[in-house]
Amino acid sequence: MKTVVEFVRPALLVAWKDVLLELRNREVVATALVFGVMLVVIFNFALNITPETVDVLAPGVLWVAFSFAGVLAMSRAFVAEKEEGTLDALLLCPVSRDSIYFGKMLAMFIFMVVIEAALLPIFAVFFDFSAFSATLLGAIVLATLGFAAVGTLFAAVAANVRSREIMLPILFFPLVSPVIIGAVETSGAAIGGSGAVVSTGRWLQLIAVFDAVFLVVCPWLFSIVVEE
Amino acid sequence: MIALITTPAHNIPYLFAAFAITWAVFFVYVFFTSRRQDELEQEMESLREEMRGRDGDGDGGGM
Amino acid sequence: MASVANSARGGLRWNIALVAMAAVMVANMFFTFMFAPTEATSGHVQRIMYIHVPMAWLAFLAFFVVFCGSIMYLWKRTAKWDDLASSAAELGIIFTTLVLITGPIWAKPTWGVWWTWDARLTSTLVLWLIYVGYLMLRAYSANRSQGARFSAVLGIVGFIDVPIVYFAVDWWRTQHQRLVLGGLSLEGDLHPDMRLALLVSVIAFTLLFGFLLRQRVSLKRVERGVREMREDAEFMAEGQR
Repeated sequence: MKTVVEFVRPALLVAWKDVLLELRNREVVATALVFGVMLVVIFNFALNITPETVDVLAPGVLWVAFSFAGVLAMSRAFVAEKEEGTLDALLLCPVSRDSIYFGKMLAMFIFMVVIEAALLPIFAVFFDFSAFSATLLGAIVLATLGFAAVGTLFAAVAANVRSREIMLPILFFPLVSPVIIGAVETSGAAIGGSGAVVSTGRWLQLIAVFDAVFLVVCPWLFSIVVEE
Repeated sequence: MIALITTPAHNIPYLFAAFAITWAVFFVYVFFTSRRQDELEQEMESLREEMRGRDGDGDGGGM
Repeated sequence: MASVANSARGGLRWNIALVAMAAVMVANMFFTFMFAPTEATSGHVQRIMYIHVPMAWLAFLAFFVVFCGSIMYLWKRTAKWDDLASSAAELGIIFTTLVLITGPIWAKPTWGVWWTWDARLTSTLVLWLIYVGYLMLRAYSANRSQGARFSAVLGIVGFIDVPIVYFAVDWWRTQHQRLVLGGLSLEGDLHPDMRLALLVSVIAFTLLFGFLLRQRVSLKRVERGVREMREDAEFMAEGQR
């Protein structure tokens, strides 16, 4: 019991630190949110979304907006730590690397959920569909968890290399492509578009497997990334 | 069932292209790696000369 | 040091290996062009299979080697495992590129389109992107040990991702089948002679992979040796001044 507390408490503290920082200077969520709205507007022009095509196009647009806004938010997560040198201070603390990973991941998850929660109603109004089905919310939570699990690891990697702004998306998108496929398919079924051959349940399972695998693998690799 | 765009007799160029590209890629790869090998061997030789030319108070070049 | 160079190139063993490799490839060509029967509906172009399929297999094998090399590097932290992983990654990208080139060349005369978003081609494309990221990560790292560490992390995550990507793309495709593709099923109804020719081709190209991998690994080892010698020389020059 004590070990659980020793693990969870620092993780929550790390997450809380990021949330407080964000509440103070509002750099991550606000910029990503504006970027997301902008993407939706551009897609509207590019694809000429009409009431007839909205069922087919909306899931794709939704997830492009979510994942691009998400990756923008993620790229900030370690850059600030790196520039201020606070990551080194954090690593010197007597807490396990796993706690730091899960803390950063939790903060990232919270930021992304906030961004998505703000984008979704805007989206629903623009394209006129009811956004709040349980399947869609389930897909959003599971997919965002997967994004955060992989994103935290590779944001830490990208913060340490040259061309870091472009390296995160280049590494991140191919790896999470199964999550994006699954999320788009599930959302499509939830919004009421395509007749699902593969049931939404199976897609959610696939995303859940992805999450489970990378929530085990990524903390271990994170400790290797931040060593030295 | 299969829409045949070209008749079998006319698709030889595709076959040729696929094999030519594959082998060209392999030869170019081997060419560049072996050229790099030559460069390295020359550099190693010149470094060895350079070290031999010095007074023998070093450890003689590591490795 | 000289022995290191000899094991890579020059020397009797190398020449024997080179001749043997060439002989195997000539035999492979014989099986591909002479021995294998011509496919009834699509004709000679079907022989592209004898490079396309081995390349796809080797891409997978190479990325598996990257995975193993990455794990071993993170465990042992010796540069030779990083040499193995990064050499295999380079070769894997070459094989993946060839899958992506020969696939469309085969598809165009057979199906009338260059590209189909089928499960194999699409997941190969995703793989290609992952491992191009791997090489970019090495190139953009601050130093060599960091590059080795980071790319090992990606080598592990990337390979674990492979089956998930494949399943996702496969299900996605069954949901959006745009094109009915018949006649070219690779598994089932192959003529026995075709299957033998394919087997010969797979074995021959696998030997080629082993050969190239060995050459690339020893080249990296020599590269590292030269770098260390250069550093020593600079150090000595520094000391004499």
